[in-house]
Amino acid sequence: MPMAGTQRSRKIGDALAMVAVAVLVIFAVFPIVWAFLISLKPEEDIVTATLTYIPRRVTFENYVAIWTRSNFPTLILNSSVVTLITVAICTVIGTLASYAVARYRFLGRRELMMFYLVIRMFPAVMIIIPLFILMRGLGLLDSRFGLALAYTTFLLPVFIWMMKGFFESVPNDLEDAARIDGASRLGAMVRVVLPLVLGGLVATAVFIAIGAWNEFLFALMLTTSTGSRTWPVGLQLMVGEFQLPWGSLAAGGIISIVPVMVLFALVQRALVRGLTAGAVKG
Amino acid sequence: MDATGGLAGKAVTGPSRRRRLPGLGDLSETRFWAYWLLVPSLVLILAVVLYPTLWGIGLSFREMRLNRLDLGTGFVGLKHYYAMADDPVFWLSLRNTVVWTVGAVVGELGLGLAAALLLNKDLPGFRAASVLLLLPWFLPNVVAGHMWALMLDPRLGVINDMLVKVGILSQYKAWFADPDLALAAALVVEIWHGFPFFALLLLAGLKAIPSDYYEAAAIDGAGPVKQFWYVTLPQLKAIIVASVVLRVISLVNSPDIILILTGGGPGRSTLVLSLHAFLKVNKEFNFGSGSAVAVVLFLLLMAFSYLYVRLSNVMRD
Repeated sequence: MPMAGTQRSRKIGDALAMVAVAVLVIFAVFPIVWAFLISLKPEEDIVTATLTYIPRRVTFENYVAIWTRSNFPTLILNSSVVTLITVAICTVIGTLASYAVARYRFLGRRELMMFYLVIRMFPAVMIIIPLFILMRGLGLLDSRFGLALAYTTFLLPVFIWMMKGFFESVPNDLEDAARIDGASRLGAMVRVVLPLVLGGLVATAVFIAIGAWNEFLFALMLTTSTGSRTWPVGLQLMVGEFQLPWGSLAAGGIISIVPVMVLFALVQRALVRGLTAGAVKG
Repeated sequence: MDATGGLAGKAVTGPSRRRRLPGLGDLSETRFWAYWLLVPSLVLILAVVLYPTLWGIGLSFREMRLNRLDLGTGFVGLKHYYAMADDPVFWLSLRNTVVWTVGAVVGELGLGLAAALLLNKDLPGFRAASVLLLLPWFLPNVVAGHMWALMLDPRLGVINDMLVKVGILSQYKAWFADPDLALAAALVVEIWHGFPFFALLLLAGLKAIPSDYYEAAAIDGAGPVKQFWYVTLPQLKAIIVASVVLRVISLVNSPDIILILTGGGPGRSTLVLSLHAFLKVNKEFNFGSGSAVAVVLFLLLMAFSYLYVRLSNVMRD
């Protein structure tokens, strides 16, 4: 009889846990769901005396409005270009660096990794101010390349830390075997190790891409015209200056988070592994 | 040479392809190969992080106002720092920064730990749930801020509507217009945004605890509470310490979500130091004074991280 009792209390415990997790999931995704519902409502259903939860009439006019009656496509294009440049710089430079710290024992290795960690402590504002002045002097202010360079200040160290973990998970023996077969160190790295960490490399690149795509503060300071302005800044300015209608705001938000959610969904397994690798090792 | 190299490369996949890049391949055999791999990243970091940072620290001792170029860019010593010490706005935003950071970290760590402990049960559907719970962390601040602003709106906000329907509120509240509520409302948004970070790391930490620890504790007669206190928490401690440092750093440094939700208002009730520094630059164009605030912010963070890591090591021994 006591067995049955513990079994029943375990079942109750599990049921309670499932309810609690359900509540947490609702808390986490409700804002997204709500923004999506608003984006599908016509304006007269949004601004009403009594709130309607489920849209009475589904419309895509908000999406059409934000896409055709604002410079949103340009903003999205700028963000895409900045994101691609940032990812390209971080992937090339960061892969080399993280491979070096993962594979070789050299003087200053620990200090270097500490340095890349301490950089995270630099307040964004402390870097933004001089970057603004320096980039103005170099003609990089208000350019997509300049903004991408600015993003590498905080994204390159993250890239190096994450990729270091993925490289370390590949056993050394494989390179040694390739070296015995006559491959150079570079050859072993490019043709033996890189294919093995490809999943991790893609996940890390996606993480960097999401960071660049979402970034707001640097872009607010370092872009001044529609030639380079990214969508977070553009959307924020539309809200502030033109009193953007709710439907359009919600539609713009949904459009801009679709790439984030798709990319995240594609690589979430490897991404979670990369983000938590350092944590588990302690 | 080129032609044969190309042909050989197609026929044989092995070392022959290396001949296309004789320079780099040979370079990789030298003693300093590791350093060569690091050079590009070091050059970039020096150019875009270290040099600007040192420049910015220097700037905090100089006059520089983009809207008052007649003032010049002369050396003014500690003027900005003295002015800061006399400025009640600085002290207010310092206080707000502490409230903001402590509130957010406590809330995010608590909720994150709860989520991790629940998800560690591995019941049906929990894998999907753990992915969904991560979503807020990956959402852009701008969208997160405006989604919540819509939900908390004083006239049409769904949260007001729900709270009134449930009977917690008698009428709609203007959350971000009330100086006593604005920071708390912004904290709710921040906690929503940041708790997945803790949930992710703590769940990984929980999964890494060997199950024999719990079995041994159970044999010794420890119930769930004692097991949590004597097994789980000590095992998670390193992760908790590290993740709290990282989170504090980014909470103190990034004014994004407050800038989007309230801009520091109403009045200055939600003005934090990082936003104070940013507005000095972005609105007043006072680069010297803004740099001084940023430098103080950096020093405070360094001191905190050092003491915090030190203290948590001391407690471990």
